[in-house]
Amino acid sequence: MAICVALLVGAALPSSAQQSEWTSAQLLRATVSRNCLACHDDRRKMAGLDLSALDYGDLASDAPTLEKVLLKVRAGEMPPAGRPPLDKGLAKRLVGQLAADLDALAARDPQPGAPALHRLNRAEYRNAVRDLLGLELDHARDLPADDSGYGFDNIGDVLTTSPLHIEKYVSAARRVSRLAVGSLAPKAVVEKISRQPGTLGESIDGLPPNLRGGMLFQHHFALAADYVLRVRIGGRRADGLPPPRLDLRVDGRRVRLFDANFSSLEADQETRYFETRVTLAPGSHEVATGFLTEYVRNEGLETASANAFVVDHVLVSGPFDASGPGESESRRRIFVCRPSPGDPERACARRILETLVRRAYRRPATRADIGPLMDLFRRGRADGVGFDAGIEMALSGILVSPSFLFRLEIPPAGVAQGETYRLADLDLATRLAFFLWSSLPDDELLAIAESGHLSEPDVMRHQIGRMLSAPGSRALVENFAGQWLHLRNVADWKPDPERFSAYDDSLAYAFERETELFFTDLIRNDRSVLDLIAGEHSFLNQRLAEFYGVDDVQGGFFRRVSLAGTERAGVLNHASVLMVTSYPTRTSPVLRGKWVLENLLGAPPPPPPPDVPTLADSAQRSPSSLREALEAHRADPACAACHAKLDPLGFALESFDAVGAYRSGEDGVPVETSGALPDGTVVDGPAGLRSVLLDRRDEFVETLAEKLLTYALGRGLKATDRPAVREIRRRVEAADYRFSALVEAIVDSVPFRMRRAPAR
Amino acid sequence: MIYGKALARRTFLRGIGTAVALPFLDAMTPAFAAVSAPITRVAFVYTANGVIMRDWTPAAQGAGFAFPRTLAAVEPFRDQLLVLSGLAHRNGEALGDGPGDHARAGASWLTGQHPYKTQGADIRNGMSVDQMLAREIGQSTALPSLELGLEDVRLVGGCDSGYSCAYSNTLSWISATTPLPYENNPRRVFERLFGDGDTTDPVARAKQARQNRSLLDFVLDDAHRLEPRLGAGDRRKLSDYLDSVREVERRIQIAESRSPVTASLQALERPEGIPPTFEEHVELMADLMKIAFQADLTRVITLMMSREGGNRTYPQIGVPDAHHGLSHHQNDPDRVARLQKIDQHHVAMFGKLLERLRDTEDEGGTLLDHSMVVYGSSLSDSNAHTHDNLPTLLAGGGAGALRGGRHVRYAKGTPMTNLFLTLFDRLGIERDEIGDSTGRVGGLG
Repeated sequence: MAICVALLVGAALPSSAQQSEWTSAQLLRATVSRNCLACHDDRRKMAGLDLSALDYGDLASDAPTLEKVLLKVRAGEMPPAGRPPLDKGLAKRLVGQLAADLDALAARDPQPGAPALHRLNRAEYRNAVRDLLGLELDHARDLPADDSGYGFDNIGDVLTTSPLHIEKYVSAARRVSRLAVGSLAPKAVVEKISRQPGTLGESIDGLPPNLRGGMLFQHHFALAADYVLRVRIGGRRADGLPPPRLDLRVDGRRVRLFDANFSSLEADQETRYFETRVTLAPGSHEVATGFLTEYVRNEGLETASANAFVVDHVLVSGPFDASGPGESESRRRIFVCRPSPGDPERACARRILETLVRRAYRRPATRADIGPLMDLFRRGRADGVGFDAGIEMALSGILVSPSFLFRLEIPPAGVAQGETYRLADLDLATRLAFFLWSSLPDDELLAIAESGHLSEPDVMRHQIGRMLSAPGSRALVENFAGQWLHLRNVADWKPDPERFSAYDDSLAYAFERETELFFTDLIRNDRSVLDLIAGEHSFLNQRLAEFYGVDDVQGGFFRRVSLAGTERAGVLNHASVLMVTSYPTRTSPVLRGKWVLENLLGAPPPPPPPDVPTLADSAQRSPSSLREALEAHRADPACAACHAKLDPLGFALESFDAVGAYRSGEDGVPVETSGALPDGTVVDGPAGLRSVLLDRRDEFVETLAEKLLTYALGRGLKATDRPAVREIRRRVEAADYRFSALVEAIVDSVPFRMRRAPAR
Repeated sequence: MIYGKALARRTFLRGIGTAVALPFLDAMTPAFAAVSAPITRVAFVYTANGVIMRDWTPAAQGAGFAFPRTLAAVEPFRDQLLVLSGLAHRNGEALGDGPGDHARAGASWLTGQHPYKTQGADIRNGMSVDQMLAREIGQSTALPSLELGLEDVRLVGGCDSGYSCAYSNTLSWISATTPLPYENNPRRVFERLFGDGDTTDPVARAKQARQNRSLLDFVLDDAHRLEPRLGAGDRRKLSDYLDSVREVERRIQIAESRSPVTASLQALERPEGIPPTFEEHVELMADLMKIAFQADLTRVITLMMSREGGNRTYPQIGVPDAHHGLSHHQNDPDRVARLQKIDQHHVAMFGKLLERLRDTEDEGGTLLDHSMVVYGSSLSDSNAHTHDNLPTLLAGGGAGALRGGRHVRYAKGTPMTNLFLTLFDRLGIERDEIGDSTGRVGGLG
């Protein structure tokens, strides 16, 4: 082998006609010898990579190394600048053939990996409780925040369990059970719900369109009882105007219309409260309140300065004169039977617990599950008042049980250690539900899994479609898009208030909503995933439209708007993404370029080497001086290797400032948005960047697939997952890039469907 | 912000927003009378992204040194304060692992270990000194230790190259593989210390504790049944869960066994949530630390004023820039000046904690007399990512174990863990080594 390699080094490659008949092993051997070994041999091992001992007869043993080679060659990163480049056609063929070989190997010997035991994270816990008991309340807010890895906070390896978690799980379980069973002592409690920042003076989604300055929230009312709703008004009134009219609604129906005759004087704080008492059935209700518009928007007056009042918060107190637990949604789900005379109490308790366990543990209840829970039932029954107290205690047990809190995948009997096996339908149902809903499977999904039909392609496709169009799929927006696109950072982002004085909570809210709605639309209406990079539409309200310079969007409602003919298309031009890829004080072409490489093209640049000179701050005052500084930076070969790839991608977005506003120039100097990538491709402006991304759509789709697969599996991907990623990309491509095809292909992939039985 | 509190309707109708004193605080207060020797409390307070050393390090050594600008706010505590220079965390360095100095700095500060570089699989660091202390001096209090922080760790993409966020989200590791999350919401800290206020009746509380123990017994049995069916890796993860369950059982037992004794504590309102400003947030946390020490609910506390790589902005002191980004200052005078403002501000906030400890009476002295409080960063120059000559303050009298008033300079490269080992000695805890320690340090008085 060594001799053979030595002979090939420096030899001219045969003609392309000869080459085209080569096997990938021959092609690989020739390329490695000619282009790689100068650095990646057994002596130099640059970047820890030694390609001198590749076994060309059996690529399987080197598959992880070859996957790395493939990615680097495809991204044009290897051979590096300054070394003889690969012929483009040759590189393409090498990448294609190598991928085909590795895919064939993977098909013969699938390597699905094994996600670690997965503790439910906060979002999953919240949703699971909601779906198990019909309690629309954030019980998870008191749980410790989850750590993340690989860009997501649902990674099994990273979801560790500390004593603090157990403390919180126990107290959450007790609270949830009390609420669900309705065994709360009817003691009055007051809760304060504040207006979400960023909805000032505008109509907000869900409120009647003529209401302004209001708020809307879901609230759980534990008992059938009276409750007092007390609205506090903030802001001030202009002299000489009639009092504003404050509308208060529950579940869309007006319960009271107040003449809000409050005084703006500091001493008259008490006049800012308006309260009424309502009788409510137990369960979740929507409370909405706001000002009737005609009194806010007076003709001929500068409304903003004349009347500037909003609902500040609502205090909900109660229960008063409770008539009992009533028939809440939670009780309906829990009490599938009632003990009756002649019917032993325990039989009914057992039935109740079996029903709850099946849903909570995502599998049929076993005798071993129910026995200890019946002990808890007896204990609670003896300690408290009656049957319900026993059920409440056993329910608490279910909610802290490892079978509920952890996603356990136990290999079926007969599967040996280290052996690969196909997941049983019940495990598959759980994976599917946590992937698409961040929650438990519902009854339909569980029933199908129990019947053993879930793996049938038609059944699976139907279930995926059903789940994507169900409300639960908003979890994909919140948790997947929220993290992939760094949307979660928007709310707490603090742009320099001096430089970006127009930025406020309303914009922050609108930024986040825009991208969420865009992604929701992608899922619900099964659009092309290429819309993410080039979709010429978005979702705007008046504030955001004005910020974008788009005309004819009025009011606070977000609606679909065509962006054809504007500078913007795709999420990369959303203000949300543009802002969180900037510094609070200025844009950073480097950060944006890095973001594009990492999150859209799957080619993250290595971190800067230690002691690298960064840019002088004085050079960062204006876009043009910044550009000059970066150009100087690239003159240093140590920097050029990465910055030649990063900077042009980032410069293309320089027409948007650090909060995502469009700018053609700054201080009279036009912004330069053009640059050339190392392979000579010119990228000019946002549109130029879009066409580069569209040209590299394979990389984009594979990157999206990698991110979504990481999220779906709850583990970091390995080289052995690359064949699955390529298969997903091919299927998405064949299905016109529809989002549903992406999800279906992930669900059908080897790592999602199969698992390696761990060592004991 | 949503909060709930038990209130009679009468109270409610009179108006909300007034402070509610703790009706049950008395019941939570330990039997001070039973304690003879003063109790030593230990706290670690972290400031991330290094400091500008030029304005931190006193020019003179020994007693009578002049306080440099950054330390000005803690000058009033001179007599109970040591400025320690020259300490280092070699395990924070790359040691062949490449970039990721911020993650390694935060992870090694209290462990003295070299964190294993991973995004997720096989997270490994080392037990942190606060947790070692919790095992030694925290076993008789309701909480062995308390972990506090300020930043919201929900943010995405803020973690260092190649390292899981687990490494920068906490200072505390209960074992090499289990980080302890911190609490950043003062209200939840309050509820951990004093209960959620749903029940104040001692009989009801006792029943609740008893039921909680039944629940924990139930889950232990449940987990034991699962264990044999899991693979080795998953079994390890489940054993974290089991250990945690046992630890909480122990805490409940301690809470049940404490005899209620009346003591006059300055009542603290139940906080509504996270205050809007950094300053109020720190001060509220300092209040909670003080009251937790005072009521002897815990003897070990860590507080992360900021996270490594954290990008909080400080427009209120004229620094609108993101902290981490700014900390790569390239010796640009303008940036250095702004960073120094942050350093000084953090030290001033630390002074607010010292103030509270000094002003709180403890058996035979003040809380500050009976505390050892370490303040510092695990990077000195964030720009160059240097892990030596770490900025370190040691405050408090340590119940007679420490004597302040001096600037002590150790030989370059002296392991920080040598300081920890010496503090353990002073606390009467025998230990041969901690992390990369090579011995003890002198000069603590």
